[in-house]
Amino acid sequence: MDLKDRLSNLMIECSDARFEDFTQWIVKKLWNEYDKDCMDKRVIIENQIKELPIVIPNGTVGKEYSATIRLPEDVIEDYWLDGLDDIGLQGNPEEHNVCTISGVPTTAGSFEIVLRYKYKGCIDEKDLLQRGFPIVINPDPRTLWKDVPTPEDIEYYQPDRDHTYVKVEARDGIPQKDIVAASQRGRSHAHEGNPRDDHFRVEYLEDCGWYVMAVADGAGSAKYSRKGSWLACDTSVEHCKSYFSDEKSLHDFEEYITTYNGEANDEYRKLLGDSIHQLIGNAAFKSYKAIEAEAVSKGVPIKNYATTLLLAVCKKFDFGWFVASFWVGDGAMCIYDKERKYFKLLGTPDEGEFAGQTRFLTMPEIFRDATSFYGRLKFSIEQDFTALMLMTDGVSDPMFETDANLNKIEKWDALWENITKEVKLTDDNTESQYQLMQWLDFWSQGNHDDRTIAILY
Amino acid sequence: MPDIYSLLRNMGRRLPVYMLIDTSGSMRGEPIESVKVGLEAMLSSLRQEPYALDTVNISIITFDREVKVLAPLTPLEDFQLPEIVVPESGPTFTGAALELLCKQVDAEVRLSTPERKGDWMPLLFLLTDGKPSDKQAYNNVIPEIKKRHFASIVACAAGMHAKTEPLKQLTDQVFALDTLDSASFKKFFQWVSASIEIGNKSIGATDELELPPPPEEVNVIV
Repeated sequence: MDLKDRLSNLMIECSDARFEDFTQWIVKKLWNEYDKDCMDKRVIIENQIKELPIVIPNGTVGKEYSATIRLPEDVIEDYWLDGLDDIGLQGNPEEHNVCTISGVPTTAGSFEIVLRYKYKGCIDEKDLLQRGFPIVINPDPRTLWKDVPTPEDIEYYQPDRDHTYVKVEARDGIPQKDIVAASQRGRSHAHEGNPRDDHFRVEYLEDCGWYVMAVADGAGSAKYSRKGSWLACDTSVEHCKSYFSDEKSLHDFEEYITTYNGEANDEYRKLLGDSIHQLIGNAAFKSYKAIEAEAVSKGVPIKNYATTLLLAVCKKFDFGWFVASFWVGDGAMCIYDKERKYFKLLGTPDEGEFAGQTRFLTMPEIFRDATSFYGRLKFSIEQDFTALMLMTDGVSDPMFETDANLNKIEKWDALWENITKEVKLTDDNTESQYQLMQWLDFWSQGNHDDRTIAILY
Repeated sequence: MPDIYSLLRNMGRRLPVYMLIDTSGSMRGEPIESVKVGLEAMLSSLRQEPYALDTVNISIITFDREVKVLAPLTPLEDFQLPEIVVPESGPTFTGAALELLCKQVDAEVRLSTPERKGDWMPLLFLLTDGKPSDKQAYNNVIPEIKKRHFASIVACAAGMHAKTEPLKQLTDQVFALDTLDSASFKKFFQWVSASIEIGNKSIGATDELELPPPPEEVNVIV
């Protein structure tokens, strides 16, 4: 039955023209209603999707990325993501409208990903909806570091890297221990074109057979700390040299060592202790005085020269090795023996509650309190050892991470293995200074300070 | 397997940066929108600094009649600027915000122990366009803030109605912005980001940071 018959059943008679008008009217009216209904549905869904919290984590260039978004199944029929390709990512739609975004980002910046979707009830294929959501890709921090040479015309200029090898010839066919040392400007300094603040000085005194080693770390925030570390190393080593060149002091000192080794009683201990104080303690104090004099001549506070100091002297006797040391500040100083699985820290690092807080040679209180000052002086008699190592915190922080780890043999073993993998520490290998320099370039996130290490082996 | 980088990052030394932002009614509209633009610009400029990417951690605390931790201390690498909502009107509880800050610092900032490396000393930036409504609480909390060992506290008084006197009790480093528009905030946050970078580099000896000179739009209050 058609529409006209239905009308006549209802006793409605109309002309053809009127009937035509009526049908047009009804179609238009229904169409409008239908259209509005479709539109409403579309807008409701569009708003619902717009409000959807789509939060995905930030990515980093070169680092595997993975994130998941979930879209409501009841309103979205099909979808895809635009804008991922450009940054090296892919969208992988899975069942139940779950989509994983993955890949290795290639481009850094803030981007907008566009979600395009076909909503439920959408008839026209071309009638797609969309919304954007942000993604942040961090640059790879490794690529951001700049290496700006230190201007050579600054006050107290020192080269950005330094290395040395002290070769001690074999005696009676027996190889003698050598010293290798290297110092590298930290990335954080290089990035700004700031100078290296670390310094070292190592020597072997041919005439008397003593080794003298000093490593110092100038505080990054102190204006002239590079001169402070330089003066600390230089003055302390010079003092030791002059002490050993004095026949009487040298003779007495070595005699006290031998006597003490024969019988470790209180009297001999005191005699030896006093000599160590004259040698190492005075070396430290003279360094402090030298820095103070420099500060006075410049008319600036001594804290502008803030530096740490690790100082060790060492000699082989027929009963074994004698080592004496002084340590103020952070870093590490240690006697290590690989075969015996043995290590002995020559003191404890000075560290505060917060990172970077330490004590410096330039603090007058270091010398004011005799007990704590004596505590910084150490000596040890060892049969033999693989290495005596002095390093600044630029090396010890990334290698040991915590103070507690400094007391773990596994950590010292790991450090030794790490170094010797790249640095051939065989007798008289002068090349190892370049290998050590290379090794110092290791990557460790957040650890970009100057790095210095001296090894007697 | 856990991501080795995130493991290292969790162990490493962080530079905590706390941003306290006034969201009282008067900040509604253009001012807060400008702050957001400024913060975004600050974040993207910090992301260009390798040391900042490695160490900076940011927290945002807002204060109006309520105080809220909008973002707990989060590594810059992962940080996403949260939505900042401003109520229509109401008081400015700066004191309560500083109290909450102390709690956050105590819970979040790591001190050195033998087993763990401590964080760098934290930085604090406080931005307000008014004055503390909770004067008593504000005065009481100041000595507590001093105990938290901030490496630097920078207070910014934004706009005509901001009072600098109370801020001067909190820190010597008080700055003022004449207007609350996006140009001023952008300059301010650019300067904040430069200051954070200085914080990154200042290692050890100094007790107080030497901040970079502020831009023209930022007036130093002496």
